[in-house]
Amino acid sequence: MKHRISWILWLVVSLYLALTTRNPYYLSLQLLELSFLGYFLAKRKGSTKWLTSNIRFIGIVLLFSGVINTLFSHQGKIIFFKLPQQWLIIGGAFTLESLTYGLINGLVIAVLFLIFNIINLALNTRQIIHLIPKIFYPIAIILTISLTFFPTIQRRISEIKEAQQLRGNQMKKIADWLPIVLPLLISSLERSITLSESMTARGFHPQQSLRSSKNVLIGIVLALFSIFSAWILQLFDYPPLISIILYLIGGISVLLTFFIANRKISVTRFYQEKWKLVDILASIFFAIIISILVILEISGCSPQLTYSPYPVITQPIFNIGAVLLNLTLLLPLIAIISTNCKENDPD
Amino acid sequence: MIRINKLTYRYPNTTQPVLIDVNLEIPSGTITLISGASGSGKSTLLRCINGIVPHFTGGVIQGEIQVFEENPIQSGPLKLAGLVGYVFQEPESQFVFDVVEAEIAFSLENAGVEQLELNKRINQIIDHFQLNSIRYKHIQDLSGGEKQKVAIASALVNHPKVLIFDEPTSQLDAQTAEEFLQFLVNLTTTFGLTTLIAEHRLERVLPFVDAIAHITQDHHLIFGPPRKILPHLDLAPPIVRIAQSFNISPLPLSVGEFSNKFTKLIKNKYPIETEDSPVDTGPILLLNQLSTNIHDQNIIKDISFNLNQSEILVVLGPNGTGKTTLLRSILGLIPSEGKRELFSKNMEIMKISSIIKHISYLPQNPNDLLFADSIIEELKITLKNHHQRKTDAQLIEFLEPLDLAKQYNRYPRDLSIGECQRTAIAAITIHDPEIILLDEPTRGLDYHSKLELSSLLKNWRNQGKAIMVVTHDVEFAARLADRVLIIENGKMLFVGHPRVAFTQFEKYQTQTARLFSDTNAIIPEDIIFDEKNGN
Repeated sequence: MKHRISWILWLVVSLYLALTTRNPYYLSLQLLELSFLGYFLAKRKGSTKWLTSNIRFIGIVLLFSGVINTLFSHQGKIIFFKLPQQWLIIGGAFTLESLTYGLINGLVIAVLFLIFNIINLALNTRQIIHLIPKIFYPIAIILTISLTFFPTIQRRISEIKEAQQLRGNQMKKIADWLPIVLPLLISSLERSITLSESMTARGFHPQQSLRSSKNVLIGIVLALFSIFSAWILQLFDYPPLISIILYLIGGISVLLTFFIANRKISVTRFYQEKWKLVDILASIFFAIIISILVILEISGCSPQLTYSPYPVITQPIFNIGAVLLNLTLLLPLIAIISTNCKENDPD
Repeated sequence: MIRINKLTYRYPNTTQPVLIDVNLEIPSGTITLISGASGSGKSTLLRCINGIVPHFTGGVIQGEIQVFEENPIQSGPLKLAGLVGYVFQEPESQFVFDVVEAEIAFSLENAGVEQLELNKRINQIIDHFQLNSIRYKHIQDLSGGEKQKVAIASALVNHPKVLIFDEPTSQLDAQTAEEFLQFLVNLTTTFGLTTLIAEHRLERVLPFVDAIAHITQDHHLIFGPPRKILPHLDLAPPIVRIAQSFNISPLPLSVGEFSNKFTKLIKNKYPIETEDSPVDTGPILLLNQLSTNIHDQNIIKDISFNLNQSEILVVLGPNGTGKTTLLRSILGLIPSEGKRELFSKNMEIMKISSIIKHISYLPQNPNDLLFADSIIEELKITLKNHHQRKTDAQLIEFLEPLDLAKQYNRYPRDLSIGECQRTAIAAITIHDPEIILLDEPTRGLDYHSKLELSSLLKNWRNQGKAIMVVTHDVEFAARLADRVLIIENGKMLFVGHPRVAFTQFEKYQTQTARLFSDTNAIIPEDIIFDEKNGN
C-alpha cells in the first residue's frame, strides 16, 4: 500500500478512532497496533531505532499526563493519600480515578502522535506536497523550494564562516556573527531573485487567485457556513441528523469547489501515482468503514468506545465488535506483506 | 530569427541607459556570441529576448524586439517561456526542485502539457542528455558539469526555438568547456536552435560561433561575422592577436584554422630559446607528502612542494580534482597527513589564528567576505581582527595599486565584479601577510579585470610576497606563473617551469603553445615581442 489516497483514508479512520475512543483497552490496543506498524515501516526504510525512540517519548507523555492530572484534579473515591487542602492547587486527595483519567489522555496523545509519525514514514515529501490541491499550486512550489533552500543555506553558512574566520574573525562575541549574517542575507536575496527570474523564464505564473472566481468564493462561504452551523447545532444538543447533513453539505461543497477550481488551473503534474490493486482494495475498504461509521453516527448507534473513570472507577467494557473495528488500523501492514512489495521508490 | 530594432533600455532608478540604440538581426539556426566587458549589458540584452526585461525588472524600454512570431516587450515572459530557453550563469541558483527529474519537468508542468506527452518529452530529453543514471538523484549531490547539463535539459524540454546561455563555461576547466561547446553545436543543429552565448573567454568560444554581437564600453552594439568584428575588439584572444600582428588574412579563429604555412614562416624566422628554471629563493612554505581524506575518500595524495618568497605558483587541474582541498589543507581547515612547515615551523601545532597572520586566503566567492558599508571599512575590520591599526591615509595609499583609492567610500556590493574582487583581496591582505592564496580568482572576470589582477599580483610578487593561485584559466595562468603545479585526481602530475607545463601537457597548452608546438612560446607576447625585436 503506497498510494497517498489509501493512506489518507487510513488517516481518517485512525483519527476517528483515536479521537472517539476513551476506553483504555481499545486505546492500548491501538497503541500496540500502531507501534507494530510503525516499526515495520521504519525497518523497511532501514531505520531500526524508530521503536525505541518512540517508546521513550510515549513513556514520557504517559507519565506527565498521569502525574499532572493527579496533581491538579482531586475527584474520585479511591484515595492514595492526601495533601493539606490549603496548599494551592495541589492540595487535596490523590485518587486512582484522576490518575486513570490522566493516563487515558496520555494514551490518546500517544496514539495521535504515532498516527502522524506513521503517515510521515509512509508518504514521501513529494506525496505530501501532492496532497495540496492544484489551486494552491504556488504554495506547493514554495514548500518544494524551501526543501532545497535549507541545505543550500546551511552550506553557505559554513562557507562564509570559514571565509570570515580566515580573515581573522575569532567568532567569540555575538557581534562576530554579523560578518556571517550579512553576506548570507545578501546572497540569499540575490539567489532568490535569480530563482524567481528562472521560474519566470520557465513559465511559472501565479494562477488566477481564488478571489477572482465567483463560484469558488460562493462555494467556500457555503462550506464554511454549513460546517460552522453544524458545529453550533451539535453543541446545543439539536438532533444529530441536522448536524450531520450540514457537515456533509459543507464537506461536499469544499470538495466540489476544489474540483471545479482545479479544472481551471492549467498546470499539470509530472508525478502521477499509479493505483495498484492493493491500493484500490485498501481504499475501498477504508471508504466502506468510513461510510459505516457515518451511518452509525446518523442512526445514533455508534460503537461504544467511550469510557470515564468518574465518578467511580469501573471495569471498562470489552466488546469484540469494537476490537475488530480497531484492528482495521493494521490493514496497511497486511496489504504491504500480502503484495510483498519492496521499497523501490526513487526517494 | 531574432530581430532587434533601435532598442534602448535603462533600469529603474538609473539615469544612464545600459543599452543604447541596439540593432541586431540573428538568423535561425546560428550561434551568436555576446561579448563585452562586465557590466556592459550582456545579461540585460539576453533578458530582453525572453521578456524578463522589462516585465520582471521594470525600467524604461524603447524600440522593437521580434523573436520569431512573438514580441517580448508586448507579450511578456510567460508567452516567451515556450519559445526561449534560458540557462542562467550559476545553475545552482536556478533550481526549483530537489530531484533531477522533477526539475526537468517544471516548465512542462507550468505549460500544462498533458500527462502522456509530458512523460514522453522528459524521457526523450533524459535519453538525449544521457541523464538516466542521475535521473532520481538529488541535485545537490551532482557535480558542476552534471548540474549544468540538468539546467540545459530543463531549458530544452519545452522545445524552445531560442536557447540562451549566460557565461556557461566560466566554471569549467578547459577540456570540459571544449566538450560542452561541441555539445552545444550539436544541440543547435539537432534541435534547429538559434543559440546565444554571453561569454568572456573568447578563445574558447570563437571557433564555434557564427556571429559576434559586441557591446562596447559606451553601451552600443556592433554585430557581424567574427572576422569582421574581431578587429574592433581591443582584447582579442591570443591567436587573433598573433595573426593580427602578422597581418594574416582571413583571421584564423581556431588553432586548426591557423595555417601551418604561417606558423612555419614565423617560427623559422624567430626561434625562441629555452630559459633556465627559476632560481630557488628560499622556501617559506614547505609541504611534504600531504594527503587529505574527506568522508573516508582520498581527495589529495602525497603532494610535496615548496612555495618560495617572491614567487607566483599556479596550481592547475581539472574541475573536482582537489585544488580547493589542497588550499584548505594547507591552512589546516581540514585535517591532513604529512608535513606542513611555515618559516621552518611545524604548522601542525600552530593555531589557525596564528597561521592566518602569515597566510591569507581569497575564497572562490569574494562576496562571502564583504559586508561593511564601504571599502575602507572592510579594511578596518580585518585590521581590527588582527589587532592592528592604520590611518585612513595609509589605507587609501594601500588601495592605490588596486585601483580602488578613488572609490574608497563606496559600498562594496555596488562595485563591478572585478572591483568587488579587488576589494576582497584588499580586505585579506591589509595586515601584510607573506603568503597569499587565491582560489579561482578569474571566475566571471572580463579581460581587463584579469589583466589588472595579474599585474597586481606580479607587483606584489616583486615586493617579495609568495602567491599561490588555483585556476583552470590556462591563458591567465601562462601570463602569471613563475612555477606551475599540475594536480590530477588528487595526485601531483608535475611541478616546475611554466614553459614546460604549458607546452608539454596537452590539456594545459595555451593557444600560442599549440600554434608553435616545438618552441617554448606560451603567450602571444613571446611571438609578437620577438617579431619586433627581429626588426
